[in-house]
Amino acid sequence: MSGYRGDVADALSGSAIFGALYATGPVVRTVLIGPDGSPGLISAPVVEGSVPSIVDLAPAAGWDEREAADLYGVGFNGHSPMRPLVAHGAALEDWTVRVSGHDAYQVAVGPIHAGVIESGHFRFHVVGDRILHLDAQLFYKHRGLQAAAEGRRLREAMALVARTCAACSVTNAIAYADACEQVLALEPPSELRRVRTILVELERVWNHLNDVSAICAGVGMAAGNAAFAALTERARRLNDALTGHRFLRGAVQVGASDLDWDASAVRRAANELDSVRTDAARAWRELAFNASFQDRLAGVGVIDAGRARALGVVGPAARAAGLDRDERCHSGRLSYDGFAPALPERPDGDVRARYEQRALELWQSFDLLGMLLDRPVTASRAEPGPAVRIPGAGPGDETGIGVVEGPRGRTVCILEARDGQVIRLQLRTASFANWPAVAAAAAGSLLPDFPLINKSFELCYACVDR
Amino acid sequence: MGGATLAEASVQVCGGVLGAPLLPGLIQAAKARLQGRRGPGPLQPYRELRRLWSKSTVEVEGATQVYRWAPATVAACMVAAVLLVPAAGVAPGWGVGHDAFALVGLLALARFAIAAAAWDTGNGFSLMGASRDLTISVFMEATLVLSLGVASLSAGTTDLRGVVAGTAGGGAWATPALALAALAFGIVVVAETGRQPVDNPDTHLELTMIHEGPLLEYAGRDQAYLQWAAAARHWIVLVIAAQVFLPHGRTVAVQLVALPAVLAVLAGALAVLETVVAKMRVLFVPRLLGVGSALALLGVAAWLAPR
Repeated sequence: MSGYRGDVADALSGSAIFGALYATGPVVRTVLIGPDGSPGLISAPVVEGSVPSIVDLAPAAGWDEREAADLYGVGFNGHSPMRPLVAHGAALEDWTVRVSGHDAYQVAVGPIHAGVIESGHFRFHVVGDRILHLDAQLFYKHRGLQAAAEGRRLREAMALVARTCAACSVTNAIAYADACEQVLALEPPSELRRVRTILVELERVWNHLNDVSAICAGVGMAAGNAAFAALTERARRLNDALTGHRFLRGAVQVGASDLDWDASAVRRAANELDSVRTDAARAWRELAFNASFQDRLAGVGVIDAGRARALGVVGPAARAAGLDRDERCHSGRLSYDGFAPALPERPDGDVRARYEQRALELWQSFDLLGMLLDRPVTASRAEPGPAVRIPGAGPGDETGIGVVEGPRGRTVCILEARDGQVIRLQLRTASFANWPAVAAAAAGSLLPDFPLINKSFELCYACVDR
Repeated sequence: MGGATLAEASVQVCGGVLGAPLLPGLIQAAKARLQGRRGPGPLQPYRELRRLWSKSTVEVEGATQVYRWAPATVAACMVAAVLLVPAAGVAPGWGVGHDAFALVGLLALARFAIAAAAWDTGNGFSLMGASRDLTISVFMEATLVLSLGVASLSAGTTDLRGVVAGTAGGGAWATPALALAALAFGIVVVAETGRQPVDNPDTHLELTMIHEGPLLEYAGRDQAYLQWAAAARHWIVLVIAAQVFLPHGRTVAVQLVALPAVLAVLAGALAVLETVVAKMRVLFVPRLLGVGSALALLGVAAWLAPR
C-alpha cells in the first residue's frame, strides 16, 4: 500500500484516529487526529473522478465518503456498494441492505414522526419484534449551509455555523472560531478561553439534562421525564439570562467575546447551577431506586468497545463503551487544565452505560462551571499569535481545524480560507459521527426498544442536515 | 322492577355509557398534577369525542368491510359488556344476561374485530400493535377467567349479580381465595385498560404501541367509537374491581353510593402507578400476567382447601 491509502494506514496503525473526510472538488482530504488532539491532513487528488476509498481502513469514514460522493460527485474506488446518503430518490434496493429469509419483513417509520422530532426515515428489517437490521435515511432538510458559507467573510459565516443546530450551537461555533483563529494567526487569551469553556459546559449541562429526560420518555417514565424536563428548562433560562439566548446562539464570535457578566450575575448563575445540581441529584436518586425503570436499560442497544472504535463513535456513547477519549483533555484553546475524562464503572456500551455516563459528565460539568464562574467575565479579544500550520495542508492553503468536545462528542470543523474568505467549510459534528452507531445498536434489539436506544444517543438531525 | 333495580339500571347505563370517558379523563388529569403539570381537565375525553364525532372518517385504499365495521363492532361489544356488568347486586336483564364468562367473550370479540381490521389494512404499526395485543391477551384472558372463576366459586354462581352479592360484606374474605383473585384481577385491570407497565396510552412512539397501534388507521367517528370503547373498558373492569374484588357493602344502596368514590380512588391509583412505574419490556408482559394466573390458581386452591 502506498500513496494516500498507505499514508492513512500508517497514521491509523500509529496512534492517530480518523477525524473526518471531505472533498473539495479536485482533492479529497482525510483528517486524522493524533493522541494529543492535534489534527493532520492527508490528501488525495481526484483522478478521473475518483480516489481510493479508505473505508476498509477506517470504517468510520463510511458516511463521509458517501456524503462526498453525493455532494461532490467523487467516486471512491473500493467502496462498494456506494449507497446514496444525502441524495434521496434512489430505489429502495439501492439505499437499503438486502435482508431476506423466512418471516423477515420491513417496518418503515417516518420521515414525519409524531412529537417534536426532525425528519428521518427509518427502515427496520425485522422478524417478529426482533430487529435484524436498520437502514436510516436522514438529510431530509439539508440546507446547504456549508456551501452557503463559501465566499463569505470568516466572521459572517459564523452566523451560518451557529444556526446549524440549536442543541450544539456553542460546540459548532467554537470549533469554527478555533479554525478561523488558526487561519488568522490569532490566539485566545485566558479570559476568552474561560468564557468559551463556560459556554460549552452550559451547553453540555442543558443537553445532558435533556437527554436523561428523553431516556425517561422512551420508557414512559413520566416522573423522571417531567423532573428532568423541568431542570432542562431551568438550565435554558439560565442561558437566556446570561447570553440573551436560550440555546446560547450568538454568544461565540470569531476572535472576540462581548459577554460581560459582573460579580452579581456570575454569582447568581453559580447559585442557580448549584440549585439545579442539587435537584438533578435528587431526581437522579429517585430514578436509581426505581426498579421498573432501571430494568429497561441494561443490556439494550449494545455497542461494545471494539465496535465503538471501528465505527468511530465519539463522546459519551464512546466513553460508555470504555473508550477513554475526550477532546477536553487536550483543548489548548479552551480552559480545561488538568482535565481527566469521567469513565463509567461498567463500560457495557448499553443504554444503561450511556444513561449513567450522562450523569457522570453532568456532575463533572457542574464542578467545572463552579470553578470557572469564580469571578466576573469581561469582554476579551483574541491576540496575534504564531500561525498554525496543519501538517499535510498544501502550501498556500490557509487551513484551520477546530476540534471541540461537545455534549455529544468530538466535533471537527475544517476551514479552508483565502484572503479572509471561506473557500471550503466542513463541519463534522458528533451526531454525524454517531448516527451509524444508532443503526448498529438497534440490530438484535426489540422493535419497541428502538425509541429508547435512539434516545440513549439523542443525536441531532440538524447537525447532519447542515 | 323495584326501586333498587331502577336506581341500579340508571347508574349502570348512565355510568357505563356516559360516565366512562370521565375515568381516563381523571387518570390523565391526576397524572398531569403528579408530574407538576397543569394538564387538561378530567372532561378532556368528552371534548375529544365531540371533536372526533364531527370529523369525517377515512377510507383505507384496498381495505374491505372488515376494516369498515370494526369500530362499530368494538363499540357494540362494549355496549353489551356495559349492560352485562351490573353496578350493584341487582340489575335488569337487558337481554344479555350477566354471565361472567360471556363478558370474557365480549372483550375477546372486540379484540378480534380490531385485530382483523389491522390485518385488513396491512398497516405495519396496526399489525404490530394487534399482534402484541393478541399475544398478551392469551395470558391476560387466562388470568381474567381464573380470577372471575375464584369470585364465582366464592359466590356459588357465575351470574355477576350473584357474584357481587355473594362477595359483599366480610364473609367472602374469610379465606385468602378472594384476596388472591383480587391481586390477579389488579393485573388484569392494568392490562385490559392498556395502562403502564403493560402499555402506555399517552405515548406518541408508534414502535412501542400495543392498544393504540391498530387505532392509528382510524379517524373521525370511527376513532370516536374506539376511544369511547377504550373508556368503556375502564368502566367495565373498574366496576368489577370495585364491586367484586374490593370489600363492598351488602345493600344495593350502599353499593351504588360508594361506587363513584371507589372508581375515583381506583383511577387515582392507576394514575400513581403510571407516574412512578416505567413501561416494562414487551416480552416480560406475559410473565407479569403469568404471575396473575398463578395468583388466581392459588386462589382456586385456597378455596378448594378444606376449611
